[in-house]
Amino acid sequence: MISLEISAKTVEEALDEGIKKLGVKKENIQVEILNEPSQGLLKFLGSKPAKLRLTVIKEPEEFIKEFLQKLLHIIRLEGDVSVEKNEEDDLFLKINGKDLGLLIGKRGNTLNALQYLSNVVFHRQFACNKGRILLDVENYRLKRKKTLEQLAKNLALKALRTKKEVTLEPMTPQERRIIHLALKNNRDVITSSHGEEPYRKVVISPR
Amino acid sequence: MEAMKELVEFIAKALVDFPEQVDVKQVEGERSIILELRVAPEDMGKVIGKQGRIAKAIRTVVNAAAIKENKRVMVEIIQ
Repeated sequence: MISLEISAKTVEEALDEGIKKLGVKKENIQVEILNEPSQGLLKFLGSKPAKLRLTVIKEPEEFIKEFLQKLLHIIRLEGDVSVEKNEEDDLFLKINGKDLGLLIGKRGNTLNALQYLSNVVFHRQFACNKGRILLDVENYRLKRKKTLEQLAKNLALKALRTKKEVTLEPMTPQERRIIHLALKNNRDVITSSHGEEPYRKVVISPR
Repeated sequence: MEAMKELVEFIAKALVDFPEQVDVKQVEGERSIILELRVAPEDMGKVIGKQGRIAKAIRTVVNAAAIKENKRVMVEIIQ
């Protein structure tokens, strides 16, 4: 667990400063007062600063897992939430259970919205954490990856046959990356991305 | 349908700096429900996001959850 000792003129100032340094919201911190500030007899003689120890009580993984568990509970869905972390502090959250299709939505629309919200909520609580939240429901991401790879191959052939560019529908950065990678070694076509998020699209052009 | 109201409240509270000022009112129609979300003025941007991206994501998630209840739910953010 991360912990930090900090001194300032008053307890409040020390707390504010510590929160800023940790980049974590107050609710996730345990505060111990090591030294109450004292003024001393004369104003400048013998005055002591306040000293606090702040400990982050909730791990980032635990926080975001609980967020999703509570959300499932509210909409009365049953699902197990698991979390894994990689070296870059990215958190992979997986939800598995019954009838979770509505969490995925058309072409992963709902899943992507939920992933986006999870990221915003997470980084508001843990401002210093640079990792991303990657969300999956019932292995949808892997299935979608296979579909996209197949689509990429088919559309590359189409671009070649018609000698015209093929523009795909708007996709998330994750999904566009799958298309780019699928055609990276294809010497007949070039892929590029155009437009602004969230409407950015991949274009496949014949070479 | 309380679940939809609770859901909007839960998400909004997780996004803002002043969760105690989050308020959701439910206005029920025949086939649809309007959820009026109010937050502290300082928190407006936090529930709307750049180009309304956060608001759009909230609506997408709420609409998905509403499928179960067979109703159309509209989330309105009130100034």
